[in-house]
Amino acid sequence: MIDLLGLGKEFSGRTAVENLDLRVRTGDIFGLLGHNGSGKSTSIGMMLGQVWPSRGKAILCGHNVIQSRRNALREVGAIFEAPAFYDYLSGWRNLQILSGYSSDSQPERLKEVLDWVGLTGREKHAVKTYSHGMRTRLALAQALLPKPRLLILDEPSEGLDPEGIHEMRQTILRLRKELGLTILLSSHLLTEVEQLCSRIAVLHQGRKVFDGTVSEAKSSQSCLELRVDRFEDAVKKLYELALIASHSNNAVILAGGIGSDRVVKQLVQDGFAVHEARMREKTLEDFYMELVQKQRQNSN
Amino acid sequence: MYLRFLSNELWKLFGKKRTYMGFAVFVLAQNAMLFAFHFSRWEVQVQRLLESNGHVGSEFISALTVSVVMLIPQALLLMPLFTTLVGGDIVAKEVEDGTMRMILSRPVTRLELLAAKWTAGAVFCVLLAFALGASALVFALCWFPWKGMFVFVPDFVFGVLDSKTGFELYLGSQILCAINAVTMFSLAFMFSCLNVKPAAATILALSFLFFSLVMHELPFFGDYQHWFLPHHFRNWILTYSQPTPWPRIAESLFILFGYNASTFIIGSAVFQSRDFKS
Repeated sequence: MIDLLGLGKEFSGRTAVENLDLRVRTGDIFGLLGHNGSGKSTSIGMMLGQVWPSRGKAILCGHNVIQSRRNALREVGAIFEAPAFYDYLSGWRNLQILSGYSSDSQPERLKEVLDWVGLTGREKHAVKTYSHGMRTRLALAQALLPKPRLLILDEPSEGLDPEGIHEMRQTILRLRKELGLTILLSSHLLTEVEQLCSRIAVLHQGRKVFDGTVSEAKSSQSCLELRVDRFEDAVKKLYELALIASHSNNAVILAGGIGSDRVVKQLVQDGFAVHEARMREKTLEDFYMELVQKQRQNSN
Repeated sequence: MYLRFLSNELWKLFGKKRTYMGFAVFVLAQNAMLFAFHFSRWEVQVQRLLESNGHVGSEFISALTVSVVMLIPQALLLMPLFTTLVGGDIVAKEVEDGTMRMILSRPVTRLELLAAKWTAGAVFCVLLAFALGASALVFALCWFPWKGMFVFVPDFVFGVLDSKTGFELYLGSQILCAINAVTMFSLAFMFSCLNVKPAAATILALSFLFFSLVMHELPFFGDYQHWFLPHHFRNWILTYSQPTPWPRIAESLFILFGYNASTFIIGSAVFQSRDFKS
Protein backbone atom coordinates (compact mmCIF):
# COMPACT_ATOMS: atom_id res chain seq x y z
CA MET A 1 0.00 0.00 0.00
CA ILE A 2 2.92 2.33 0.78
CA ASP A 3 6.38 1.86 -0.71
CA LEU A 4 9.08 4.37 0.07
CA LEU A 5 12.19 3.78 -2.00
CA GLY A 6 15.39 5.56 -1.02
CA LEU A 7 13.42 8.62 0.02
CA GLY A 8 15.52 11.56 1.18
CA LYS A 9 15.01 15.22 2.00
CA GLU A 10 17.35 18.05 2.81
CA PHE A 11 16.35 21.48 4.06
CA SER A 12 19.06 24.09 3.37
CA GLY A 13 21.82 21.50 3.53
CA ARG A 14 20.46 19.82 6.69
CA THR A 15 19.37 16.22 6.21
CA ALA A 16 15.81 15.70 7.48
CA VAL A 17 15.26 12.21 6.03
CA GLU A 18 18.03 9.96 4.74
CA ASN A 19 17.58 7.13 2.28
CA LEU A 20 14.33 5.84 3.76
CA ASP A 21 13.00 2.50 2.54
CA LEU A 22 9.67 1.48 3.99
CA ARG A 23 6.88 -0.86 3.03
CA VAL A 24 3.40 -0.84 4.55
CA ARG A 25 1.37 -3.85 3.50
CA THR A 26 -2.38 -3.93 2.92
CA GLY A 27 -4.28 -4.39 6.18
CA ASP A 28 -1.39 -3.33 8.44
CA ILE A 29 -1.61 -0.80 11.22
CA PHE A 30 1.90 0.49 10.87
CA GLY A 31 3.50 2.66 13.55
CA LEU A 32 6.06 5.31 12.70
CA LEU A 33 8.05 6.23 15.79
CA GLY A 34 10.69 8.80 16.53
CA HIS A 35 11.34 11.81 18.70
CA ASN A 36 10.64 15.39 17.60
CA GLY A 37 12.66 16.25 14.51
CA SER A 38 13.39 12.60 13.67
CA GLY A 39 11.80 13.00 10.24
CA LYS A 40 8.34 11.47 10.76
CA SER A 41 6.31 14.47 9.61
CA THR A 42 8.69 15.15 6.71
CA SER A 43 8.30 11.53 5.59
CA ILE A 44 4.51 11.81 5.80
CA GLY A 45 4.70 15.13 3.94
CA MET A 46 6.62 13.42 1.13
CA MET A 47 4.09 10.58 1.02
CA LEU A 48 1.30 13.11 0.52
CA GLY A 49 3.20 15.25 -1.99
CA GLN A 50 3.33 18.23 0.38
CA VAL A 51 7.11 18.07 0.68
CA TRP A 52 9.27 17.54 -2.41
CA PRO A 53 11.74 14.70 -1.93
CA SER A 54 15.39 15.51 -2.66
CA ARG A 55 15.79 11.92 -3.86
CA GLY A 56 13.93 8.63 -4.03
CA LYS A 57 10.24 8.08 -4.56
CA ALA A 58 7.03 7.49 -2.63
CA ILE A 59 4.51 5.06 -4.07
CA LEU A 60 1.00 5.01 -2.63
CA CYS A 61 -1.66 2.55 -3.79
CA GLY A 62 0.65 1.59 -6.68
CA HIS A 63 1.18 5.14 -8.00
CA ASN A 64 4.11 7.49 -7.70
CA VAL A 65 2.93 10.49 -5.68
CA ILE A 66 4.97 13.01 -7.66
CA GLN A 67 4.25 11.68 -11.13
CA SER A 68 0.66 10.58 -10.63
CA ARG A 69 -0.62 12.54 -7.67
CA ARG A 70 -4.31 12.21 -8.50
CA ASN A 71 -4.23 8.41 -8.72
CA ALA A 72 -1.90 8.02 -5.76
CA LEU A 73 -4.05 10.08 -3.37
CA ARG A 74 -7.50 9.16 -4.69
CA GLU A 75 -8.06 6.54 -1.99
CA VAL A 76 -6.03 8.11 0.79
CA GLY A 77 -7.30 9.96 3.84
CA ALA A 78 -5.06 11.92 6.21
CA ILE A 79 -5.25 13.57 9.61
CA PHE A 80 -2.63 15.85 11.07
CA GLU A 81 -1.95 16.93 14.63
CA ALA A 82 -4.07 19.96 15.61
CA PRO A 83 -6.58 19.56 12.76
CA ALA A 84 -7.30 22.86 11.01
CA PHE A 85 -10.68 23.89 9.61
CA TYR A 86 -12.54 26.93 8.39
CA ASP A 87 -13.77 27.87 11.84
CA TYR A 88 -16.35 30.37 10.62
CA LEU A 89 -18.15 27.67 8.59
CA SER A 90 -20.24 24.77 9.85
CA GLY A 91 -18.87 21.25 10.20
CA TRP A 92 -21.10 20.19 7.32
CA ARG A 93 -19.79 22.92 5.01
CA ASN A 94 -16.20 22.09 5.99
CA LEU A 95 -16.78 18.49 5.00
CA GLN A 96 -18.35 19.54 1.72
CA ILE A 97 -15.39 21.79 0.93
CA LEU A 98 -12.66 19.35 1.88
CA SER A 99 -14.31 16.39 0.19
CA GLY A 100 -14.84 18.56 -2.88
CA TYR A 101 -11.11 18.30 -3.60
CA SER A 102 -11.40 14.51 -3.92
CA SER A 103 -14.83 13.85 -5.36
CA ASP A 104 -18.31 15.26 -5.10
CA SER A 105 -19.60 13.63 -1.91
CA GLN A 106 -23.36 13.15 -1.76
CA PRO A 107 -25.27 14.34 1.34
CA GLU A 108 -26.05 10.70 2.22
CA ARG A 109 -22.33 9.94 2.38
CA LEU A 110 -21.72 13.00 4.57
CA LYS A 111 -24.47 11.90 6.94
CA GLU A 112 -23.12 8.36 7.02
CA VAL A 113 -19.62 9.54 7.93
CA LEU A 114 -20.86 12.05 10.51
CA ASP A 115 -22.84 9.27 12.10
CA TRP A 116 -19.80 7.02 12.07
CA VAL A 117 -17.66 9.54 13.97
CA GLY A 118 -20.51 10.52 16.30
CA LEU A 119 -21.00 14.13 15.21
CA THR A 120 -24.61 13.85 14.07
CA GLY A 121 -26.62 16.77 15.47
CA ARG A 122 -23.65 19.14 15.63
CA GLU A 123 -22.89 19.30 11.92
CA LYS A 124 -24.73 22.59 11.34
CA HIS A 125 -22.85 24.41 14.11
CA ALA A 126 -19.80 26.56 13.33
CA VAL A 127 -16.55 24.68 13.86
CA LYS A 128 -15.32 27.46 16.17
CA THR A 129 -17.79 26.11 18.75
CA TYR A 130 -16.29 22.58 18.62
CA SER A 131 -14.10 21.11 21.36
CA HIS A 132 -10.69 19.66 20.49
CA GLY A 133 -12.16 16.15 20.56
CA MET A 134 -14.94 17.13 18.17
CA ARG A 135 -12.44 18.71 15.81
CA THR A 136 -10.46 15.48 15.81
CA ARG A 137 -13.63 13.56 14.98
CA LEU A 138 -14.40 16.02 12.20
CA ALA A 139 -10.87 15.51 10.89
CA LEU A 140 -11.51 11.79 10.86
CA ALA A 141 -14.80 12.35 9.05
CA GLN A 142 -13.12 14.37 6.29
CA ALA A 143 -10.46 11.68 5.94
CA LEU A 144 -13.12 8.98 5.59
CA LEU A 145 -15.31 10.81 3.06
CA PRO A 146 -13.53 9.71 -0.12
CA LYS A 147 -13.88 6.05 1.02
CA PRO A 148 -10.13 5.59 1.46
CA ARG A 149 -8.21 2.33 1.49
CA LEU A 150 -5.27 3.95 3.25
CA LEU A 151 -5.39 6.28 6.23
CA ILE A 152 -2.38 8.33 7.30
CA LEU A 153 -2.60 9.59 10.87
CA ASP A 154 0.07 12.05 11.97
CA GLU A 155 -0.09 12.37 15.77
CA PRO A 156 -3.89 11.95 15.89
CA SER A 157 -4.01 11.91 19.71
CA GLU A 158 -2.03 15.14 20.12
CA GLY A 159 -3.81 17.43 22.60
CA LEU A 160 -6.54 14.93 23.51
CA ASP A 161 -7.42 14.15 27.13
CA PRO A 162 -7.05 10.51 28.37
CA GLU A 163 -10.68 9.77 27.48
CA GLY A 164 -10.15 11.24 24.02
CA ILE A 165 -6.98 9.18 23.54
CA HIS A 166 -8.86 6.02 24.53
CA GLU A 167 -11.69 6.91 22.15
CA MET A 168 -9.24 7.54 19.31
CA ARG A 169 -7.58 4.18 19.95
CA GLN A 170 -10.92 2.39 19.81
CA THR A 171 -11.81 4.28 16.64
CA ILE A 172 -8.58 3.23 14.92
CA LEU A 173 -9.26 -0.39 15.78
CA ARG A 174 -12.83 -0.04 14.45
CA LEU A 175 -11.50 1.47 11.26
CA ARG A 176 -9.46 -1.58 10.51
CA LYS A 177 -12.07 -4.07 11.71
CA GLU A 178 -15.18 -2.55 10.12
CA LEU A 179 -13.73 -0.75 7.10
CA GLY A 180 -10.65 -2.89 6.48
CA LEU A 181 -8.37 0.13 6.19
CA THR A 182 -4.60 0.09 6.07
CA ILE A 183 -3.33 2.63 8.58
CA LEU A 184 -0.03 4.44 8.97
CA LEU A 185 0.14 5.93 12.45
CA SER A 186 2.79 8.38 13.56
CA SER A 187 2.73 8.89 17.30
CA HIS A 188 4.74 9.80 20.38
CA LEU A 189 2.52 7.63 22.55
CA LEU A 190 4.41 4.36 22.70
CA THR A 191 1.72 2.54 24.67
CA GLU A 192 -0.78 3.53 22.00
CA VAL A 193 1.45 2.24 19.24
CA GLU A 194 2.10 -0.97 21.19
CA GLN A 195 -1.61 -1.62 21.54
CA LEU A 196 -2.53 -0.77 17.98
CA CYS A 197 0.26 -1.57 15.58
CA SER A 198 1.31 -4.82 14.03
CA ARG A 199 4.52 -3.41 12.57
CA ILE A 200 6.66 -0.40 13.43
CA ALA A 201 9.56 1.59 12.09
CA VAL A 202 11.71 3.84 14.24
CA LEU A 203 13.33 6.95 12.81
CA HIS A 204 16.29 8.65 14.47
CA GLN A 205 17.86 11.81 13.05
CA GLY A 206 16.23 11.11 9.70
CA ARG A 207 17.44 7.51 9.45
CA LYS A 208 15.44 4.34 9.90
CA VAL A 209 16.97 2.43 12.80
CA PHE A 210 14.37 -0.33 13.14
CA ASP A 211 11.72 -1.89 10.95
CA GLY A 212 9.83 -4.97 12.07
CA THR A 213 6.92 -6.34 14.06
CA VAL A 214 6.14 -5.16 17.56
CA SER A 215 6.81 -8.67 18.93
CA GLU A 216 10.23 -8.72 17.26
CA ALA A 217 11.00 -5.40 18.89
CA LYS A 218 9.92 -6.59 22.32
CA SER A 219 11.58 -10.01 22.25
CA SER A 220 15.04 -8.96 21.14
CA GLN A 221 16.48 -8.64 24.63
CA SER A 222 15.65 -9.30 28.30
CA CYS A 223 14.23 -6.69 30.60
CA LEU A 224 14.86 -6.75 34.34
CA GLU A 225 12.66 -4.70 36.60
CA LEU A 226 14.66 -3.56 39.62
CA ARG A 227 13.61 -2.04 42.95
CA VAL A 228 16.86 -0.91 44.43
CA ASP A 229 18.07 1.95 46.60
CA ARG A 230 19.88 4.66 44.63
CA PHE A 231 18.63 3.35 41.29
CA GLU A 232 20.54 5.92 39.20
CA ASP A 233 23.86 5.07 40.90
CA ALA A 234 23.18 1.37 40.43
CA VAL A 235 22.48 1.87 36.74
CA LYS A 236 25.67 3.90 36.35
CA LYS A 237 27.67 1.08 37.89
CA LEU A 238 26.02 -1.52 35.65
CA TYR A 239 26.82 0.56 32.57
CA GLU A 240 30.47 0.79 33.65
CA LEU A 241 30.65 -2.97 33.84
CA ALA A 242 28.81 -3.34 30.49
CA LEU A 243 26.14 -5.49 32.11
CA ILE A 244 23.19 -3.54 30.68
CA ALA A 245 22.39 -2.07 27.28
CA SER A 246 19.96 0.62 28.41
CA HIS A 247 17.47 1.57 31.10
CA SER A 248 14.09 3.24 31.52
CA ASN A 249 12.21 4.12 34.71
CA ASN A 250 12.85 1.20 37.08
CA ALA A 251 13.93 -1.32 34.48
CA VAL A 252 17.18 -2.23 32.76
CA ILE A 253 17.76 -4.02 29.47
CA LEU A 254 20.41 -6.65 29.94
CA ALA A 255 23.42 -6.70 27.65
CA GLY A 256 23.82 -9.74 25.37
CA GLY A 257 24.70 -12.95 27.23
CA ILE A 258 24.14 -11.41 30.66
CA GLY A 259 21.67 -13.08 33.05
CA SER A 260 19.64 -11.45 35.80
CA ASP A 261 21.56 -13.41 38.48
CA ARG A 262 24.81 -11.77 37.39
CA VAL A 263 23.33 -8.28 37.67
CA VAL A 264 21.78 -8.87 41.09
CA LYS A 265 24.99 -10.45 42.39
CA GLN A 266 27.05 -7.48 41.20
CA LEU A 267 24.68 -4.98 42.81
CA VAL A 268 24.76 -6.78 46.14
CA GLN A 269 28.55 -6.99 45.98
CA ASP A 270 28.69 -3.25 45.39
CA GLY A 271 26.54 -2.60 48.44
CA PHE A 272 23.22 -1.73 46.83
CA ALA A 273 20.14 -2.92 48.71
CA VAL A 274 18.14 -4.93 46.16
CA HIS A 275 14.49 -5.14 47.31
CA GLU A 276 13.06 -6.73 44.19
CA ALA A 277 14.35 -8.06 40.87
CA ARG A 278 11.88 -9.42 38.36
CA MET A 279 12.24 -10.41 34.72
CA ARG A 280 9.41 -9.10 32.62
CA GLU A 281 8.49 -8.84 28.97
CA LYS A 282 10.04 -5.80 27.44
CA THR A 283 7.62 -3.00 26.60
CA LEU A 284 7.83 -1.00 23.42
CA GLU A 285 8.99 1.91 25.56
CA ASP A 286 11.93 -0.17 26.86
CA PHE A 287 12.79 -1.14 23.32
CA TYR A 288 12.50 2.41 22.03
CA MET A 289 14.61 3.92 24.81
CA GLU A 290 17.25 1.26 24.33
CA LEU A 291 17.34 1.87 20.59
CA VAL A 292 17.57 5.64 20.92
CA GLN A 293 20.28 5.48 23.58
CA LYS A 294 22.26 3.09 21.40
CA GLN A 295 21.94 5.48 18.45
CA ARG A 296 23.08 8.40 20.58
CA GLN A 297 26.11 6.42 21.80
CA ASN A 298 26.96 5.51 18.21
CA SER A 299 26.73 9.12 17.04
CA ASN A 300 29.00 10.25 19.91
CA MET B 1 -14.04 19.39 -11.42
CA TYR B 2 -12.61 22.89 -11.75
CA LEU B 3 -16.06 24.32 -11.05
CA ARG B 4 -16.25 22.25 -7.86
CA PHE B 5 -12.89 23.67 -6.73
CA LEU B 6 -14.09 27.16 -7.61
CA SER B 7 -17.30 26.64 -5.68
CA ASN B 8 -15.20 25.58 -2.65
CA GLU B 9 -13.12 28.71 -2.90
CA LEU B 10 -16.18 30.93 -3.22
CA TRP B 11 -17.73 29.36 -0.12
CA LYS B 12 -14.56 30.00 1.83
CA LEU B 13 -14.19 33.55 0.58
CA PHE B 14 -17.78 34.68 0.99
CA GLY B 15 -18.23 32.79 4.27
CA LYS B 16 -15.82 35.22 5.95
CA LYS B 17 -17.18 38.42 7.45
CA ARG B 18 -14.09 40.43 6.53
CA THR B 19 -14.80 39.81 2.85
CA TYR B 20 -17.79 42.14 3.18
CA MET B 21 -15.82 44.88 4.91
CA GLY B 22 -15.01 46.49 1.54
CA PHE B 23 -18.66 46.61 0.51
CA ALA B 24 -19.70 48.15 3.83
CA VAL B 25 -16.96 50.79 3.79
CA PHE B 26 -17.83 51.80 0.23
CA VAL B 27 -21.48 52.32 1.15
CA LEU B 28 -20.55 54.44 4.17
CA ALA B 29 -17.99 56.48 2.23
CA GLN B 30 -20.41 57.14 -0.61
CA ASN B 31 -23.14 58.39 1.69
CA ALA B 32 -20.70 60.61 3.57
CA MET B 33 -19.55 62.10 0.26
CA LEU B 34 -23.10 62.62 -0.98
CA PHE B 35 -23.92 64.42 2.23
CA ALA B 36 -20.93 66.70 1.69
CA PHE B 37 -21.86 67.34 -1.96
CA HIS B 38 -25.41 68.23 -1.07
CA PHE B 39 -24.58 70.69 1.65
CA SER B 40 -21.44 72.30 0.20
CA ARG B 41 -20.78 74.85 -2.58
CA TRP B 42 -19.71 72.06 -4.94
CA GLU B 43 -22.75 72.50 -7.19
CA VAL B 44 -22.13 76.22 -7.67
CA GLN B 45 -18.48 75.66 -8.58
CA VAL B 46 -19.31 72.94 -11.11
CA GLN B 47 -22.06 75.09 -12.63
CA ARG B 48 -19.61 77.99 -13.06
CA LEU B 49 -17.03 75.70 -14.68
CA LEU B 50 -19.58 74.36 -17.15
CA GLU B 51 -21.02 77.79 -17.96
CA SER B 52 -17.54 79.24 -18.58
CA ASN B 53 -17.19 76.48 -21.22
CA GLY B 54 -20.52 77.30 -22.88
CA HIS B 55 -22.79 74.66 -21.31
CA VAL B 56 -25.98 75.01 -19.29
CA GLY B 57 -24.60 74.15 -15.86
CA SER B 58 -27.83 73.06 -14.19
CA GLU B 59 -28.36 70.34 -16.84
CA PHE B 60 -25.28 68.46 -15.69
CA ILE B 61 -25.59 68.57 -11.90
CA SER B 62 -26.85 65.02 -11.87
CA ALA B 63 -26.62 61.59 -10.26
CA LEU B 64 -24.31 60.40 -13.05
CA THR B 65 -21.90 63.30 -12.55
CA VAL B 66 -21.83 62.84 -8.79
CA SER B 67 -21.34 59.06 -9.13
CA VAL B 68 -18.16 59.48 -11.17
CA VAL B 69 -16.82 62.15 -8.83
CA MET B 70 -17.37 59.77 -5.91
CA LEU B 71 -15.75 56.83 -7.71
CA ILE B 72 -12.44 58.58 -8.43
CA PRO B 73 -11.04 58.68 -4.85
CA GLN B 74 -12.62 55.34 -3.98
CA ALA B 75 -11.06 53.60 -6.96
CA LEU B 76 -7.73 55.23 -6.15
CA LEU B 77 -7.55 54.56 -2.40
CA LEU B 78 -10.20 52.19 -1.09
CA MET B 79 -10.25 49.65 -3.89
CA PRO B 80 -6.52 48.77 -3.59
CA LEU B 81 -6.98 48.36 0.14
CA PHE B 82 -9.81 45.84 -0.05
CA THR B 83 -8.62 43.90 -3.08
CA THR B 84 -5.11 43.45 -1.64
CA LEU B 85 -6.60 42.49 1.72
CA VAL B 86 -8.43 39.60 0.07
CA GLY B 87 -5.49 38.79 -2.22
CA GLY B 88 -3.00 38.73 0.65
CA ASP B 89 -5.18 36.34 2.62
CA ILE B 90 -6.20 33.97 -0.11
CA VAL B 91 -3.19 31.64 -0.01
CA ALA B 92 -1.06 32.77 2.92
CA LYS B 93 -3.93 32.61 5.44
CA GLU B 94 -4.63 28.99 4.55
CA VAL B 95 -0.96 28.12 4.97
CA GLU B 96 -0.86 29.96 8.29
CA ASP B 97 -4.04 28.31 9.61
CA GLY B 98 -2.98 24.83 8.51
CA THR B 99 -5.93 24.22 6.18
CA MET B 100 -3.56 24.20 3.20
CA ARG B 101 -2.05 20.92 4.44
CA MET B 102 -5.54 19.44 4.69
CA ILE B 103 -6.22 20.42 1.07
CA LEU B 104 -2.84 19.27 -0.18
CA SER B 105 -3.44 15.79 1.21
CA ARG B 106 -6.20 15.54 -1.42
CA PRO B 107 -5.77 14.48 -5.05
CA VAL B 108 -5.67 18.05 -6.30
CA THR B 109 -2.67 19.63 -8.02
CA ARG B 110 -1.26 22.88 -6.74
CA LEU B 111 -1.86 24.59 -10.06
CA GLU B 112 -5.55 23.58 -10.07
CA LEU B 113 -5.90 24.87 -6.53
CA LEU B 114 -4.26 28.21 -7.33
CA ALA B 115 -6.29 28.63 -10.52
CA ALA B 116 -9.49 28.15 -8.50
CA LYS B 117 -8.29 30.56 -5.82
CA TRP B 118 -7.33 33.22 -8.35
CA THR B 119 -10.69 32.90 -10.12
CA ALA B 120 -12.57 33.19 -6.83
CA GLY B 121 -10.58 36.34 -6.03
CA ALA B 122 -11.33 37.73 -9.49
CA VAL B 123 -15.05 37.06 -8.93
CA PHE B 124 -14.82 39.02 -5.68
CA CYS B 125 -13.09 41.93 -7.46
CA VAL B 126 -15.69 42.06 -10.23
CA LEU B 127 -18.53 42.01 -7.69
CA LEU B 128 -16.81 44.68 -5.61
CA ALA B 129 -16.31 46.97 -8.61
CA PHE B 130 -19.88 46.51 -9.85
CA ALA B 131 -21.32 46.94 -6.36
CA LEU B 132 -19.27 50.09 -5.97
CA GLY B 133 -20.56 51.49 -9.27
CA ALA B 134 -24.15 50.44 -8.65
CA SER B 135 -24.34 51.74 -5.10
CA ALA B 136 -22.73 55.06 -6.12
CA LEU B 137 -25.41 55.58 -8.75
CA VAL B 138 -28.31 54.38 -6.60
CA PHE B 139 -27.36 56.57 -3.63
CA ALA B 140 -26.64 59.54 -5.91
CA LEU B 141 -30.15 59.17 -7.39
CA CYS B 142 -31.59 59.66 -3.91
CA TRP B 143 -30.07 63.16 -3.80
CA PHE B 144 -29.59 64.29 -7.41
CA PRO B 145 -31.74 64.12 -10.57
CA TRP B 146 -31.21 61.98 -13.69
CA LYS B 147 -29.69 64.43 -16.19
CA GLY B 148 -26.62 64.77 -18.40
CA MET B 149 -23.13 63.75 -17.28
CA PHE B 150 -20.09 65.94 -16.71
CA VAL B 151 -16.68 64.42 -16.02
CA PHE B 152 -13.70 66.64 -15.33
CA VAL B 153 -10.18 65.60 -14.37
CA PRO B 154 -7.74 68.53 -14.79
CA ASP B 155 -5.37 68.14 -17.78
CA PHE B 156 -6.84 64.74 -18.54
CA VAL B 157 -10.59 64.46 -19.19
CA PHE B 158 -13.29 66.99 -19.93
CA GLY B 159 -16.46 65.15 -20.92
CA VAL B 160 -19.94 66.59 -21.32
CA LEU B 161 -22.41 63.86 -22.26
CA ASP B 162 -26.15 63.34 -22.53
CA SER B 163 -27.66 61.00 -19.93
CA LYS B 164 -28.01 57.99 -22.30
CA THR B 165 -24.40 58.11 -23.55
CA GLY B 166 -23.17 58.90 -20.04
CA PHE B 167 -24.96 55.91 -18.58
CA GLU B 168 -23.62 53.58 -21.29
CA LEU B 169 -20.08 54.79 -20.68
CA TYR B 170 -20.64 54.51 -16.92
CA LEU B 171 -21.51 50.83 -17.38
CA GLY B 172 -18.48 50.29 -19.62
CA SER B 173 -16.15 52.03 -17.19
CA GLN B 174 -17.25 49.63 -14.44
CA ILE B 175 -15.82 46.75 -16.49
CA LEU B 176 -12.50 48.59 -16.71
CA CYS B 177 -12.67 49.34 -12.99
CA ALA B 178 -13.18 45.63 -12.36
CA ILE B 179 -10.09 44.81 -14.44
CA ASN B 180 -8.10 47.27 -12.33
CA ALA B 181 -9.39 45.61 -9.18
CA VAL B 182 -8.40 42.16 -10.48
CA THR B 183 -4.88 43.44 -11.27
CA MET B 184 -4.48 44.82 -7.73
CA PHE B 185 -5.75 41.51 -6.35
CA SER B 186 -3.33 39.54 -8.57
CA LEU B 187 -0.40 41.45 -7.19
CA ALA B 188 -1.36 40.57 -3.60
CA PHE B 189 -2.11 37.00 -4.72
CA MET B 190 1.46 36.68 -6.00
CA PHE B 191 2.90 37.85 -2.67
CA SER B 192 0.48 35.54 -0.86
CA CYS B 193 2.04 32.56 -2.65
CA LEU B 194 5.43 33.36 -1.11
CA ASN B 195 6.43 32.09 2.31
CA VAL B 196 5.06 35.17 4.12
CA LYS B 197 2.28 36.00 6.57
CA PRO B 198 -1.05 37.22 5.08
CA ALA B 199 -0.57 40.74 6.46
CA ALA B 200 2.91 40.90 4.92
CA ALA B 201 1.51 39.90 1.52
CA THR B 202 -1.12 42.68 1.72
CA ILE B 203 1.45 45.26 2.84
CA LEU B 204 3.88 44.28 0.08
CA ALA B 205 1.17 44.64 -2.56
CA LEU B 206 -0.05 47.98 -1.17
CA SER B 207 3.52 49.26 -0.96
CA PHE B 208 4.11 48.32 -4.58
CA LEU B 209 0.89 50.08 -5.65
CA PHE B 210 1.49 53.24 -3.64
CA PHE B 211 5.13 53.39 -4.69
CA SER B 212 3.98 53.13 -8.32
CA LEU B 213 1.48 55.90 -7.68
CA VAL B 214 4.13 58.18 -6.18
CA MET B 215 6.53 57.52 -9.05
CA HIS B 216 3.73 58.07 -11.54
CA GLU B 217 2.80 61.43 -10.04
CA LEU B 218 6.35 62.79 -9.79
CA PRO B 219 6.83 65.34 -12.57
CA PHE B 220 10.45 64.23 -13.10
CA PHE B 221 9.28 60.85 -14.37
CA GLY B 222 6.76 62.23 -16.84
CA ASP B 223 8.40 60.39 -19.74
CA TYR B 224 8.19 57.07 -17.92
CA GLN B 225 4.57 57.24 -16.72
CA HIS B 226 3.52 54.34 -18.91
CA TRP B 227 5.87 52.08 -16.94
CA PHE B 228 3.74 52.44 -13.84
CA LEU B 229 0.46 50.67 -13.11
CA PRO B 230 -1.57 53.80 -12.17
CA HIS B 231 -1.09 55.06 -15.74
CA HIS B 232 -3.00 52.01 -16.98
CA PHE B 233 -5.52 52.11 -14.13
CA ARG B 234 -6.77 55.43 -15.60
CA ASN B 235 -8.49 53.51 -18.37
CA TRP B 236 -11.88 53.69 -16.77
CA ILE B 237 -11.89 57.46 -16.50
CA LEU B 238 -10.55 57.79 -20.05
CA THR B 239 -13.78 56.27 -21.37
CA TYR B 240 -15.47 59.62 -20.64
CA SER B 241 -13.09 61.56 -22.91
CA GLN B 242 -14.63 62.80 -26.12
CA PRO B 243 -13.77 61.14 -28.43
CA THR B 244 -12.90 58.03 -26.41
CA PRO B 245 -9.22 57.09 -26.99
CA TRP B 246 -9.83 53.39 -27.69
CA PRO B 247 -6.29 52.57 -28.94
CA ARG B 248 -4.81 53.95 -25.71
CA ILE B 249 -7.36 51.97 -23.66
CA ALA B 250 -6.63 48.78 -25.63
CA GLU B 251 -2.89 49.21 -25.10
CA SER B 252 -3.37 49.60 -21.34
CA LEU B 253 -5.67 46.59 -21.26
CA PHE B 254 -2.99 44.42 -22.90
CA ILE B 255 -0.47 45.60 -20.34
CA LEU B 256 -2.85 44.86 -17.46
CA PHE B 257 -3.51 41.37 -18.83
CA GLY B 258 0.26 40.90 -19.04
CA TYR B 259 0.60 42.02 -15.42
CA ASN B 260 -2.08 39.55 -14.33
CA ALA B 261 -0.50 36.68 -16.23
CA SER B 262 2.98 37.51 -14.90
CA THR B 263 1.89 37.74 -11.26
CA PHE B 264 -0.05 34.48 -11.54
CA ILE B 265 2.88 32.65 -13.16
CA ILE B 266 5.42 33.97 -10.63
CA GLY B 267 3.09 33.20 -7.71
CA SER B 268 2.30 29.68 -8.86
CA ALA B 269 5.95 28.91 -9.68
CA VAL B 270 6.96 29.86 -6.13
CA PHE B 271 4.00 28.00 -4.61
CA GLN B 272 4.80 24.93 -6.69
CA SER B 273 8.34 24.79 -5.35
CA ARG B 274 7.39 25.15 -1.69
CA ASP B 275 7.34 22.44 0.98
CA PHE B 276 4.38 22.37 3.34
CA LYS B 277 4.83 20.88 6.77
CA SER B 278 3.88 21.81 10.30
